[in-house]
Amino acid sequence: MPARNHKQWMAAPNLKDGEWIDSRVYTDQAIFDEELEKIFKSAWIPVCHESELPKAYDFRTTSIANEPVIVCRGPDNEVRAFLNVCPHRGMLIERRPSGSFYEGQPSGNPKRMTCMFHAWQFDMKGNCVYISREKEGYQDRLPKENVGLRRLRCEVKFGGFVWVNLNDNPVDLEEWAGKPFECLRKTLDAEPMEVFHYHKAIVNTNYKLWHDTNCEFYHDFMHYHNRVTGFNDAYFARKNESFEHGHIVVGTFEVNYDQYEGFESRAGLSFPHLPPNQWYMIDLFPGMNFNLRGSALRCDVVTPLGPDKVMIEFRGLGLKRDTPEERQTRINHHNSIWGPFGRNLHEDLIGVQGQGTTMRPGSESRRVLHGRQENQTIHDENGMRHYYAEWGKWMNRLPSDPEAPFTEPAAVAAE
Amino acid sequence: MDTQAEIAAPKMSGGLDPSISRDVADAVRDTIYRATILLDSQEWNEWLDLCDESFSYDIKSWSPEINYDMTYLHASRKDMDALIRLLPKHNTDHSPLTRHTSVYTVDVSDNGETASAVSAFIVFQHLLDGTNSHIDSGESRLFLVGKYFDTFKMVGGRALFTSRIARLENRRLDKGSHWPI
Repeated sequence: MPARNHKQWMAAPNLKDGEWIDSRVYTDQAIFDEELEKIFKSAWIPVCHESELPKAYDFRTTSIANEPVIVCRGPDNEVRAFLNVCPHRGMLIERRPSGSFYEGQPSGNPKRMTCMFHAWQFDMKGNCVYISREKEGYQDRLPKENVGLRRLRCEVKFGGFVWVNLNDNPVDLEEWAGKPFECLRKTLDAEPMEVFHYHKAIVNTNYKLWHDTNCEFYHDFMHYHNRVTGFNDAYFARKNESFEHGHIVVGTFEVNYDQYEGFESRAGLSFPHLPPNQWYMIDLFPGMNFNLRGSALRCDVVTPLGPDKVMIEFRGLGLKRDTPEERQTRINHHNSIWGPFGRNLHEDLIGVQGQGTTMRPGSESRRVLHGRQENQTIHDENGMRHYYAEWGKWMNRLPSDPEAPFTEPAAVAAE
Repeated sequence: MDTQAEIAAPKMSGGLDPSISRDVADAVRDTIYRATILLDSQEWNEWLDLCDESFSYDIKSWSPEINYDMTYLHASRKDMDALIRLLPKHNTDHSPLTRHTSVYTVDVSDNGETASAVSAFIVFQHLLDGTNSHIDSGESRLFLVGKYFDTFKMVGGRALFTSRIARLENRRLDKGSHWPI
């Protein structure tokens, strides 16, 4: 067919329900605001790894759906999460990205979270333990016991990641992600891991477009590295397996790293219970990715900032017991592909930013195709179809017509 | 991070003829600035010609988020050679980078055969094709801020890099880059 006129361009493609979506899901401010409320405030988010707060009184700050969050380790070694908001007048309690409450702060005592503004203090369980000039100001009308922090659901699970949920009554975390993690559970839980890499990217694109890239491998044509190290029969036979709650897992195969000039085989270093040079990918709704490439584990977490803006945090992990040489090897293997100066990540980010350029708030709605059917193998787009079916349920919107209520597409139901 | 510990300063007893020391320091500065120009103009192989066979290259940054001294890229001269040769096969943001380098200190060893230097750099990115070229091309953005910690050996009156650590202050790196910094 030659290039199309506007009517032809805007026509629904000759594909089944669920095999294409409307780009308004990526561009509409109202849909974005609704996503924060309906999805991100009820989903489990792996906000950090336990190795980022190894000692009692260590903390890490983050945010979910515009709400500031603090995670801290108590003297009982429990990791807990709270809104990082003082119940007095809404000041951010802790401003640093990480640190320790073991030492005192200018406004407060050791072993306390202290709001610097008026010196209210909280213990590691979120109890308010000190209100400055409490009796003088509140007499007996507002006791400390009534102004604790807002506690959040928090669990350390699946390889030591710290999972937080803003919803007080979420789906149980094991029920949420246990099945997709099954392929790597024995490996990730064999022994303590440690984060060795962190950086963040803010790119002008919708968070789902980033997750789409993690959910489909058809884009490996973009990566010279992946084409030369991976395109073989075993690669094309890999399955994209769908799990409840919108998650997917891509099975393993053996990667031939030494086919890329300058790279060596990665067979010498792996993870417990895992043969060398394997590659697993777990994608969790609504935008988390765990990617194990032989000797290094990568975790991406999205923080949506607007319909056309997302922050992605990238972490790399190895084993806590690594020797210095092993650790350096894992770092090199991780960053040569996935680091900010690595071969693949730069290409991935250019790709999704290019999509973001064509799909900005105010752009005309258009059709985005998710219709490749290849027996649910690596270049099938069933992962995205599965994701958007879940998205439709949470939002009660039809991805192909977001103003209409959700109905289960027959094609997706069959998968 | 104790940046002074980044490179082991050559041991000095003050025994070196001051004029030789000055010559070595001048050669070191010349190599650093020449490297800046070659990197800016993407003359990668000519940049590598300024590097000894033993050259190692690192991009590092201290992360207060995870309390870890990170290595974003580690490569030998051979690795850098392969990386450069394969650049045309990769999809890349072609927005040119220009580096503004200021050499702060040069320390010359007792025998005048080696030296180390600390320089500050800022890298600007001049947008071309990485975002929406209709809107953004022609805009210049601050891309990276950091310090170079370099070591050298003198060969035939030239200072050749034996190592370079580009230590970044910024860790929000957005799309990153395929290119040496």
